[in-house]
Amino acid sequence: MLFNSIGYLFFLPLSVAAYYALPPKWRWVLLLAASYLFYGMWKAEYLLLLMISTAASYFAAIGMEKQPTKARKKPYLWTALLVNLGMLFVFKYLGFFSEIIAGVAELTGASGKLPVWNILLPVGISFYTFQTLGYVIDVYRGVAKAERHAGIYALYVSFFPQLVAGPIERARNLMPQFREKHDFNPAMFTSGLRLILWGMFKKMVIADRLAMLVQPVFSQPDYFHGIQIAITLPLLIIQVYADFSGYTDIAIGSARLMGFRLSRNFDRPFSARSIAEFWSRWHITLTTWLRDYVYFSLPGKYRGKTAAWRLNLNLIITFTLVGFWHGAHWNFLFFGLLHGLFMTFANISKPAMERFNRLSGLASAPRLNHAINVMATFMLVSATGFFFGQHSFQSTLTLIRNIADFHDSGIKLMMMLQNNDFIIGVLLIVFMLWFEYLVKVRNFSRAFMNKPLIVRYSAYLTMLFFLLIFGIFSQQEFFYFQF
Amino acid sequence: MNGRKRFLRNALLFLLLVFAINMALNSVYDKWMIYHRLNRNQDRQFMEYSDSLVFLMMGNSHNMLNPAIIGNSFSYISPAEVYAQTYYKLRYILENTGKRPQYIVLSVDPANFSPKAENTLKFDGYWRKYVDYQELARITGDYNYYTKWFSGNYCAYVGNYKFIFRSITLINADFSVVKNGYRPPRSFRNFAEEPNRDALGLERATSYLAGYGNSPDLQPAMYFSKILTLCREYNIRPILVRMPLTNEYLEYAHQLVDLESLDRQIEKIAGDVTGDYLLFDFRTELSGRPEFFFNADHPNPQGADIISEKFKKLVSEQLR
Repeated sequence: MLFNSIGYLFFLPLSVAAYYALPPKWRWVLLLAASYLFYGMWKAEYLLLLMISTAASYFAAIGMEKQPTKARKKPYLWTALLVNLGMLFVFKYLGFFSEIIAGVAELTGASGKLPVWNILLPVGISFYTFQTLGYVIDVYRGVAKAERHAGIYALYVSFFPQLVAGPIERARNLMPQFREKHDFNPAMFTSGLRLILWGMFKKMVIADRLAMLVQPVFSQPDYFHGIQIAITLPLLIIQVYADFSGYTDIAIGSARLMGFRLSRNFDRPFSARSIAEFWSRWHITLTTWLRDYVYFSLPGKYRGKTAAWRLNLNLIITFTLVGFWHGAHWNFLFFGLLHGLFMTFANISKPAMERFNRLSGLASAPRLNHAINVMATFMLVSATGFFFGQHSFQSTLTLIRNIADFHDSGIKLMMMLQNNDFIIGVLLIVFMLWFEYLVKVRNFSRAFMNKPLIVRYSAYLTMLFFLLIFGIFSQQEFFYFQF
Repeated sequence: MNGRKRFLRNALLFLLLVFAINMALNSVYDKWMIYHRLNRNQDRQFMEYSDSLVFLMMGNSHNMLNPAIIGNSFSYISPAEVYAQTYYKLRYILENTGKRPQYIVLSVDPANFSPKAENTLKFDGYWRKYVDYQELARITGDYNYYTKWFSGNYCAYVGNYKFIFRSITLINADFSVVKNGYRPPRSFRNFAEEPNRDALGLERATSYLAGYGNSPDLQPAMYFSKILTLCREYNIRPILVRMPLTNEYLEYAHQLVDLESLDRQIEKIAGDVTGDYLLFDFRTELSGRPEFFFNADHPNPQGADIISEKFKKLVSEQLR
């Protein structure tokens, strides 16, 4: 079920009403049933995968906790990793690797034709797999206790607001909340509704509008050149941001209606001054997951000493995995690799950059320095859009080739400016960034809540009817559903 | 008053405000939306039409044959109309108005059978009068039609900011130019004067033909068949026409789809339902003459009149 569908418009209020109507001790049953229904309405067969992932990690964690030493815990850990990563591999990556093997076999002239597997990717598998893996590893490391209540644990894996596209929750944050007694809290409820409204606005008014401008360029790169591509790349990144952060806002807002607090996933990423800072503000729950469970697990020492080259290599490995997490395509691998390389380059060139800033006077003009860094980061991130906007490496090469062709740029720019959706899209981007700046930096929410009712209602109604009039109501899937 | 009661009171007040504003917006939109006004004006003209009705032009803006040139005819085409809508309008006409044309003139370009013509019903505020949304949902298995029924009745303005702007700019639109349902095609631009015709050709071709498979999409094909079946039941002879397209459009159309193959498949559908139909192909009739086009796939009034004259000549020869 999509958040931006009519079905969810009925599903959410009914779930919330039933949640508060039930005695607290039975609420987990309702939420679990609602979550399975929510997922099953997409493809009921794939509920089985969710259940297998749940069962494997549940029993592995309990088994592990009974063991006195890490060595004896390991078989349980490996079993859980094997089941979860195995499912992820089969459903997400098997097609990619079978294609490579078939290609290599063809090149080497191996006899027979090897099969290429194309399996429909179960929605949310990358998210819930990481959530269960995080839990199992935490139990293995002794930082979390194994959950004995199978129902509560199943709910932790499948909680519908964050099931299909995160935030990827840690057990220590979400699991205890299922045992709390949530009384109806008007302030929290209203803040949830506000977040849902803002998330819908970002998704349906901004992201889906930008998608109409971006999609033709990526689906038919042969026909677009120079200025068209140069404008589309940043639009793509902003579209993905509006889409994914919009989804996250709806998820966090939906959970808040029932008194749950989900983790923050975005923190104004376009204000980042470096690629490293960008990733500390973008899809935060994925980045911190990979930091805690992958980056920190990689060896950082060489011959007994912490080695910078080793740390940089770990960074490249981790971000290549970030890219590969997004999808089984060469494009995503390159996307992640590029981000890793950018960060490594920033680490290596840091002393030189500091010297340059001192000599050029930029060090004594911090605002200008800040603005340049923010712009440079945004441009670098936008440039990686070549790889992120599509799956075909051939199309990416076409786009890279075509961007150098600035023939007829004036006419092409005029055509873009004549498109109302382009103008409205750009204005809305400015509004979105400004509004999020107000909320985050200027503490707008608190000031707003102190305004009289008539002011608040006027703002809500304006936002709601703006959404209804300017929204794109063709039920576009969320961008991150493909991952 | 405690917090919960105050919350409930405020929530109720908010919902009432939403409801009231929605009803007001919907009723203003329903009454003033330019295409509602245009289509309802056409409905009125059709009901007032008293000559013998030989040719009834149906479909969307690609079918721009001029009844004033052809004679004894009415143009019941409407913007962005798809075959499903045409079918329900024709059924309504035949069942409820007492008017029965001798010939239905329908455009049959591959664009009419594109997957993009599926579930793209627009202007539900107007079409709710004709379209049986329940039946449509049942036949196609697409339950979004229930949503369309709901929005057409209760919140037709939703997602339609473009039409709101257009309706405001055309608030004083002159409907007196509409004769026998025919609104002369747009002429405020001329395709020959466009600086980048190639890009415009690409834009129009991709907007209809990108993502097309090797055959006509199922839903338009099904409703095309239903229109022809209805014609057969009421003893009406269909005249299928391929409308003129610019060279620029055709160049990209040929890259995107196999036009000839699609044409053959469309003819086969028509042949399977009714052997008794005429087909006029005007696709390249204005080839190399961009001055007769408004954009890459719509002739301007001069282009439309040339085609109407040719149509008149052809029917007088073939229906003699």
